[in-house]
Amino acid sequence: MIYLNAVLSQQFAPAQLPGAVRAAIGKPLRRASGLTQLALVGALASLPAECRDLPTALLWQSTSGLRQETLTLLDEVCNGAAEPMPYDFLATQPAIAAAQLQAFLPGLQSATQTPLEQAGTANWSLLLSLAGLWLAEGRYAQILCAHLDSTPEAAHGHWLLLGATPLEKAPARLQIDTSPQPDAVPDSPDFPARLADWLHQASPPTLSLHSPAAPRLALEFARL
Amino acid sequence: MKRPVHIAGRGLLCAGGDSPEAVAAALWDGACPPGRRRLGEREFPYFALPLAEADWLARAEQAVRCTAAQLGPLAAETPLFIASSSFQIGHFEQRGAPFELPAASASFSHQLGDWMGLNGPRYSFSNACIAGFSALDAARSLIAGGLLNQAVVLGVELANHSTLAGFAAMELLSRSACRPFDAGRDGLVLGEAVAAVHLSAAPARWRIAGLRTGLDGYSTTGPDPAGGPIASAAVDCLQEAKITAADIDLVKLQAAGSPGTDLAEANALRRVFAQRMPPLLSLKSAIGHTLGASGIAELVALLACLDAEHIPATAGFSRVDPEIALFPMVDRSNAHIERALLNLIGFGGGLASLIVERSR
Repeated sequence: MIYLNAVLSQQFAPAQLPGAVRAAIGKPLRRASGLTQLALVGALASLPAECRDLPTALLWQSTSGLRQETLTLLDEVCNGAAEPMPYDFLATQPAIAAAQLQAFLPGLQSATQTPLEQAGTANWSLLLSLAGLWLAEGRYAQILCAHLDSTPEAAHGHWLLLGATPLEKAPARLQIDTSPQPDAVPDSPDFPARLADWLHQASPPTLSLHSPAAPRLALEFARL
Repeated sequence: MKRPVHIAGRGLLCAGGDSPEAVAAALWDGACPPGRRRLGEREFPYFALPLAEADWLARAEQAVRCTAAQLGPLAAETPLFIASSSFQIGHFEQRGAPFELPAASASFSHQLGDWMGLNGPRYSFSNACIAGFSALDAARSLIAGGLLNQAVVLGVELANHSTLAGFAAMELLSRSACRPFDAGRDGLVLGEAVAAVHLSAAPARWRIAGLRTGLDGYSTTGPDPAGGPIASAAVDCLQEAKITAADIDLVKLQAAGSPGTDLAEANALRRVFAQRMPPLLSLKSAIGHTLGASGIAELVALLACLDAEHIPATAGFSRVDPEIALFPMVDRSNAHIERALLNLIGFGGGLASLIVERSR
């Protein structure tokens, strides 16, 4: 059985992010992109302190990725008089977020990033299917799935924490369902917000997620 | 449900040649010298694709179509898993300012799917140097779990100034050659590649026996020198494959000639294999470090070598580093390999180990 242990949606004005990081870890996160700061704040809010040592994987997706950082690098490389600053190149690498997170989530054993190819769509059906398979085979105790976007206008983080065992207030269980339901909700970046809305309602008893782009990867949540 | 996942088809275009067999032959002959690539006042060795086309997008299309054709006929709806570190940044460089980046960072994947002739589900992975194995892990997990029957995993890394300049600015590049595990190693040599594997639940010659990704948060740019996390990923992989270290016949190293990472990998290998070290091989000194494509490109090249029973010597190695105290293969071999372990170590602490095994 796979359990949904936490659902979280966050939104920050970019100027608020460093403050949110300091509130979460008691200090600023040195040389961290907005995306990394968003990842840290969301991961810590999703994972109770007593769970942070458990074997954990992070599967995260982003629409805009490190767009501003990439524009900065392109400007330096194409228009600058010299080679770019080393950190400006490093800042374009989404993979470094995980190394910065591991200091605060000692159980974090793996991180995978899937950049998205179209605004308004998401890979939740892929991430949750992988999470379901990996938890079922015992590869990890828990898996954080996220959609993160940090733009000059706003930073959005949507999170789902799945586990092989239920936490005390686990609201639902998850199962992979290869026969998509006609009333399934679409695979969009804010799917956790829709899931939270459903959890606050009395019915229906289940919620299905289905991406028309991936007909074999359908999922169903059922309240506990 | 957990089904075996097989490697049913392969394609490769890299500096070593335009097919897996051609690359294997070039590796066997030791005939893969790098060219040079200029960056401002500096020049670096570089393994470029053998394509003359000057337009970045046209060259990318040529490279991807060449690789796709090697896979043979595929159903158009076959899911595609794409690994890349830089996607189409070279195209934006060529077009110049103002840089019109699309709203979605992997928008290029749609184009890649079109060139591959695939219009099914597409997923992109950008985990620096382990991206290829992250994509492979996702695809094979879904096949093993019965959610897919087949998939194509594509690794794409094409020339651009941003990546070269970034690595150069971090002083990670050699000015002369890639020397894996060598006492005189002084950095990486980058390269280009487009590579693909067709994964299937149907039996084929090679199967994926184990695949594990890991994370080493020692620093954002390099692994723990003691090699503990790298060893853990390899041990997890052995456990999944239900074999012991003694069952591994060959290790395809990450070994890119980096002073720190090569040492960490060597220390990890000692933890895993102790006194029973299998033959060690690095391919990066012969085809370059192809970053997000390296996992798939080196897997395809290695399998072609193993099929031919022509295991090449590791180019660039000549002098043992007493601190590493290991040496990769310096002589060619016709050994029959049943199982090989492939290591990847990337920026951001990404680690991956893969075990491939001949199907029985």
